[in-house]
Amino acid sequence: MQRSHTDILILGSGGAGLFAALHAHQTNPGASITLAVKGLLGKCGCTRMVQGGYNVALGAGDCVERHFMDTVEGGKWLPDQELAWRLVNGAIERLQELENELGCFFDRNPDGTLHQKAFAGQSFDRTVHKGDLTGIEIVNRLAERVWGLPVQRLEENRAVAFIPASGEHAIAGVLFIDMRSGGLHFVQAKTVLLATGGGPTMYRYHTPSGDKACDGMAMALRAGLRLRDMEMVQFHPTGLLAGPDTRMTGTVLEEGLRGAGGYLLGGDGERFMHRYDARGERATRDIVSRAMFEEIRRGNATPNGGVYIEMRHLGPQQVSAQFKGMVKRCADCGFDLAGGRVEVVPTAHYMMGGVEFERDCSTAVRGLFVAGEDAGGVHGANRLGGNGVANSTVFGGIAGEHMAEQVREAGYAQPDEALLSAAVAACLAPLQRSPGNLNPLRERLHTIMWDDVGIIRSKSGLQNALQELAALDAALLATGIGDVDPAFNLTWHDWLNLQNQILVSRCIATAALAREDSRGAHYRSDFPQTGDLRGSRFTSIRLNESDAFDTHTCPVAFTRVAPGETLLDQPAPGADGRPQREAHGVPS
Amino acid sequence: MAEDSSPDDAVQPELQVDVWRGGAQGQYQRFTVPRSANQTVLDVVTWIQRHRDASLAYRFACRVGMCGSCAMTVNGRPKWTCRTHVRTVTRDRYLQIGPLRNLPVLRDLATDMAPFFDKWQAAQGRFSGSHSRRDPLAVIPPQSHERQAADAAIECINCAVCYAACDVVQWQPDYVGPAALNRAWAGCNDVREADRGRILRAVASDGGCYSCHSQQGCAQHCPVGLNPTRSIAALKRAALASLSSHG
Repeated sequence: MQRSHTDILILGSGGAGLFAALHAHQTNPGASITLAVKGLLGKCGCTRMVQGGYNVALGAGDCVERHFMDTVEGGKWLPDQELAWRLVNGAIERLQELENELGCFFDRNPDGTLHQKAFAGQSFDRTVHKGDLTGIEIVNRLAERVWGLPVQRLEENRAVAFIPASGEHAIAGVLFIDMRSGGLHFVQAKTVLLATGGGPTMYRYHTPSGDKACDGMAMALRAGLRLRDMEMVQFHPTGLLAGPDTRMTGTVLEEGLRGAGGYLLGGDGERFMHRYDARGERATRDIVSRAMFEEIRRGNATPNGGVYIEMRHLGPQQVSAQFKGMVKRCADCGFDLAGGRVEVVPTAHYMMGGVEFERDCSTAVRGLFVAGEDAGGVHGANRLGGNGVANSTVFGGIAGEHMAEQVREAGYAQPDEALLSAAVAACLAPLQRSPGNLNPLRERLHTIMWDDVGIIRSKSGLQNALQELAALDAALLATGIGDVDPAFNLTWHDWLNLQNQILVSRCIATAALAREDSRGAHYRSDFPQTGDLRGSRFTSIRLNESDAFDTHTCPVAFTRVAPGETLLDQPAPGADGRPQREAHGVPS
Repeated sequence: MAEDSSPDDAVQPELQVDVWRGGAQGQYQRFTVPRSANQTVLDVVTWIQRHRDASLAYRFACRVGMCGSCAMTVNGRPKWTCRTHVRTVTRDRYLQIGPLRNLPVLRDLATDMAPFFDKWQAAQGRFSGSHSRRDPLAVIPPQSHERQAADAAIECINCAVCYAACDVVQWQPDYVGPAALNRAWAGCNDVREADRGRILRAVASDGGCYSCHSQQGCAQHCPVGLNPTRSIAALKRAALASLSSHG
């Protein structure tokens, strides 16, 4: 096994990882920085896939208090308010940094001022974007800057375990598989940032990049860290449904299609949304997803088991012009979005939950930091579209600064060699068992999570899922991939992906069982009421030494504003003439 | 390219697929893959790895044409495989899939893209501004001439399809290639760029824009419709003007 060391070790190269590298270098140019990523730097993960945009309170008439209230109310009062406050304030500086220092160029109004668009769930037009390819602009500009820095790149290096310090509650380093050679590599580090992203790819239909497998959250669970809000998995209503044998299935068709007036049709060819919500297809993501799930469950489904989206009543030429990228994407796959019907299905999109952390991105383990989708508490029960990339870039930068300061004083901790050996053995285990078939195991996981831990949940369904997941975990452990050449062996990584996905699936199901109410992304058919907001509690969960979960619920601290109150004096001015939501109530 | 409209897909629902195995030295290996209705080239490769040969090496990430990780050579042409429907590329139900040209082969279908990104840096493909994170954003009308020119070149997904399509890259190993020069041209047109001279000096040196023979392979194959040849032609004029004005 190869060994090396670095002052700062960053896992992941999305918005969080790249900003951490950049700010760490700016803060402490003498520190050695290593950035390790499962794919190529800047080319895997989900920041790059951001279509919507970046929420920031820069517009005249907007303010951080308004962005904060939208974030907290959208999160159904579960967000950690100090983290949410940090997000909305940090977003302003970070957005300006992206433009002025990194060279991103976001869409402008005709007069040259910044364009900010309306986005669901927000009381002000504050979403900065570059067409519908905002993520590519952000990550390309960040990646080309980081390529030019003295940062060691460990590309196609998969992190497999946090290795603690011998005899203290601190991190000593990370064990990797060099995916190209198949060799193992221990990197000793003074500080480590977990920024691999979440990505709920354990559901049959999912949007994230195909490399995602909740690796970071699984590593954090095995290291004994607490994760919060893990029951909160956001579904996007319109994932492309192209059948079981294509990786296109599950990828997002953008929200704007419904917003522009697109119809959702059941298998019978009739619209159904008005039976669920007066707003019809324009209802919020959670309501539309549940209605679609319900129609599909009742059998009013398309040949592939979804519903149809239809745009042609808006004029095929108009649709082709307004949704060029989506129409082209569908056409490449053989579908006519502008003039025909395309099958769609709700698709798992984002994990609001993650590792519990402080405002400086530190965690309960000394030297280990977290940022981005791996971190929990910023979004609560639901994430606003446009707050995801703000979250990863704001907190990634903060983490980089704090890590760079910490390494000035800190030394290297000595790894617990017994635990390092155990981690090595665990990741080599599938190579030592006779080869089996992983495909049915993956199918089984997708089915369990989709049927019982997805859009509509119940006690009996979740208990069933937990039993099935335990059996699946045992079945995976009994299945090997054989004594194969480990170099660039995707099947070995498929096995490791499944192991991480099953662990995090168990965590989601356990947290969902503990939350006996319905709010945001979490819906329990046996507890359909939201419950008392002032008594809101969040779930907090850790994996114990016997591979079982310790689950607690903790009261939300309303450190800035309590349910029924607002930080605002008055509702938003009538931006773009859209109807305004109601005022929040009386400040106290 | 004309679509393969073989009418007997339903009768003979299989593809014959030759896949590159090995590194720089290697050979094609034949697989028979079932045809399905909505099937991309990436899906064909995935099916082989999941059902026929678990050791097949390839690279992909986003699945939807945003990350530029999965480009391969498909029936002789560089393609983004996640967005290439097999119907548009098969000939008599036959596919030949190899790694991208002009990059070192790591294994099977995966190449080492490091030279591509190193050359992006060599062409000064990064921004250098004069304002900071504490300053307001620049007011730039989107219809202004410079912004239109920058916008026309900026939405590159760095998939290296153009780099693989370029014969000059093959002949002249130090040529930085179409994507890097296209990025440089976008930078030259960014009115916020504080050091255009840095970019123009870089692209005017050996292996820069003057190596381009305007063969248009890049523009023909770019999956997102960019035209690096046009950017490079403009870059040649700008570099010449800049050099002559500095004597």
